[in-house]
Amino acid sequence: MAKIFLKFNEQVLKEIPLEGPQLTIGRKPDNDLVIDNPAVSGHHARVVKEEGGFFVEDLGSTNGTFLNDVKVQKQKLKNTDRVSIGKHSLIFQDEVAPPPPPPPPPKESESDKTMILDTAKQKELMKALGTVKTAAVAAKEEKVGWLTVVTGDADKKEYELTGRLNVIGKEDTATIKLTGWLAPKNAAMLSRRGPAYFISMPEGAKKITVNDEAVQGQRELQDGDIIVVAGVHFQFSLKGPGK
Amino acid sequence: MVIAVGAKTDVGLKRSHNEDNLCVAADLGLYVVCDGMGGRNAGEVASRLAVETIQKHFQAARDNADLPLSGDYDRQFSATTNRLASAIRLANHAIRTEAKEHTSQEGMGTTVVSAALNGPVLSIAHVGDSRMYLIRGESIAPLTADHSLVAEQVRRGMLTEEEAERSPQKNIITRALGVDETVDVELDEIPLMQGDGVLLCSDGLTRGVSPAQILDAIRREKEPQGASDRLVELANAAGGLDNTTVILVVIQDMASQGPWQRAWKWLLS
Repeated sequence: MAKIFLKFNEQVLKEIPLEGPQLTIGRKPDNDLVIDNPAVSGHHARVVKEEGGFFVEDLGSTNGTFLNDVKVQKQKLKNTDRVSIGKHSLIFQDEVAPPPPPPPPPKESESDKTMILDTAKQKELMKALGTVKTAAVAAKEEKVGWLTVVTGDADKKEYELTGRLNVIGKEDTATIKLTGWLAPKNAAMLSRRGPAYFISMPEGAKKITVNDEAVQGQRELQDGDIIVVAGVHFQFSLKGPGK
Repeated sequence: MVIAVGAKTDVGLKRSHNEDNLCVAADLGLYVVCDGMGGRNAGEVASRLAVETIQKHFQAARDNADLPLSGDYDRQFSATTNRLASAIRLANHAIRTEAKEHTSQEGMGTTVVSAALNGPVLSIAHVGDSRMYLIRGESIAPLTADHSLVAEQVRRGMLTEEEAERSPQKNIITRALGVDETVDVELDEIPLMQGDGVLLCSDGLTRGVSPAQILDAIRREKEPQGASDRLVELANAAGGLDNTTVILVVIQDMASQGPWQRAWKWLLS
């Protein structure tokens, strides 16, 4: 809560919390803050709460109201402002305690030191930053590539390419297992980068074609592409997940 | 497959300790860079523990294919990638255990970026702001996205890349080993091609040296070791504010040589 400290000769006489919509100051007893001194007018000034903060307003006093030694009519108050009425001063303390002074800048060699956010702080910050789709959520909404066997020997008719890297070949870990007698261990690799799929050939692998064009290095796949790997014909398609 | 590796770590010009650690285990196909943090010498302890734990887990897995995994198997990725994630989770546990036993090491942590090669497949795992880049032909592309406050802000469109570079908060990371009971390891895998270079580095390099400069340095040097030395020189020339660690793995020949090919090569030589 904002407060006013009434001071005289640098002595704090009173501490007044600013609770109501206004605090009237004057010599007469009907004021919220009575200062019994001939230099103070009957109804001298008031501190009023308005949108945007507290204001000090002179109520037509004889000797005037001073904010930080400047005569004012109505002026917004900042934290630690000093309002002078006669020989008394009112020190305004704002609602929020002043932020602690920033930590002294670290030594040059320390200024780049990496810091870790602890979990609580991190969650707080992430919340403040707002949410973005995590990769997993985004992936769920993305289309998934499928390979359908058109002709040739493989262990299934259709493959959903959910993995990041899918090997076509005879090896045990291959996603798309070729079952032909002479099929190579690792004939081609399909990798998923975000929403896109790329086909690449391992070094020493036999020719791979996409729509009858030989693949050099790697090539991005498009919906409907026909891929030929080790004599097996596949069609590549992009579908919604699980469809 | 023939690969060549260069590696270098350097304390830099402003720090008294090198808190980075690295592991080059070509026999395991494993490469790791860790950038430790924490008071006194705890950062060094955390990063060393991490590389040691990861390497040990890979060794144990090579000797015993049925070695259990720490954490769940993610079917999106290959066995090697899952093994890498498992090793990093164990490293997180090792750091926390050590920190509990020694109060002076409380709060220590480390980043990790690691690569595992299994034939033509590169497994990628990282936590924090140590990075991996793919150098292919005349291009350089990031393989990891920093777990840092500014990177999050860039992803949310709140900062541009340039603003992130200048931000005083760029040293705040959002994930690290040693912080929490569990660690979220980001995984990926890609097929490699002949001539590819894979660069692992701590932020000491990327703070001062741009990707274009990195690419240029790698392209100028013939050998990965020369390139690694050059990259550290560049980081120090840019101020050397932090420790810098780099590992550069270059795929020189993709083909696995059968006995006939070896015989043929021998005859030709």
